[in-house]
Amino acid sequence: MPTHPPITDSPFSIDVDRRDDAAVVRLVGSCTMDVAGQLGECVKGLAGEKLRVLVLELSALDFIESTGLGNIVAGYLRIRRHRGEVRMVSPPQPILNLLEITRLTQLFPIHNTVEEALAP
Amino acid sequence: MKKIVVPNDLAKAKKPERMILEEIEACGYCENATFAIKLALEEAMTNAFRHGNKCDPSKQITIQYEITPECVEIEIRDEGEGFQPDVVPDPTLPENIDRPHGRGIMLMRSYLDEVKYCKTGNSVRLVMRRK
Repeated sequence: MPTHPPITDSPFSIDVDRRDDAAVVRLVGSCTMDVAGQLGECVKGLAGEKLRVLVLELSALDFIESTGLGNIVAGYLRIRRHRGEVRMVSPPQPILNLLEITRLTQLFPIHNTVEEALAP
Repeated sequence: MKKIVVPNDLAKAKKPERMILEEIEACGYCENATFAIKLALEEAMTNAFRHGNKCDPSKQITIQYEITPECVEIEIRDEGEGFQPDVVPDPTLPENIDRPHGRGIMLMRSYLDEVKYCKTGNSVRLVMRRK
């Protein structure tokens, strides 16, 4: 599990796993200012599918800035329209600190495992 | 102070970010300090690119910096008309918590010792002192 971002950004990737009325999105690497739009496109697309829950698995995410966080919030707003939820799993400590400072933990419950986050 | 001028392009703005972070590491700053500066640089350059230079590729972002064992000081300037940072709503208030935008300045202020905009609002000075 990463604890701090490397000086050189690690490659950012998004892996989507569809599970019935839910989706598990695994974010890997550094979600920096120049790639945050990829996250926005992904979340926006999934948010239009009337999911019950969108799970963001963050254990391999080593960096995210406010554009990336904002893209997640924008997806949350779309999902909330049909009473869906966005839940997060295993953010490393620096990412958890960001979520707490911005108080986004009030919007996104934090879970220890994907299975726990997928529970009704 | 060292000075770097880059086109108004977020991918090209990564180069001065890397140079600054390498110097910070070489100067012996801890990983938490590197995280704080990296985050603040990304927030300030995104603001310069998007809100200052309005995504105009013909404009530029100017970065000046000085790194000593005691202090990191960075100034980022855009070619925009500037803004008043005090009118940006507090994104942590309950009524703003679900807004997609407006967290950049708050994050910079949370992680650094000093974040000060010039009077015209198109330049920001970032300071972090060694703990």
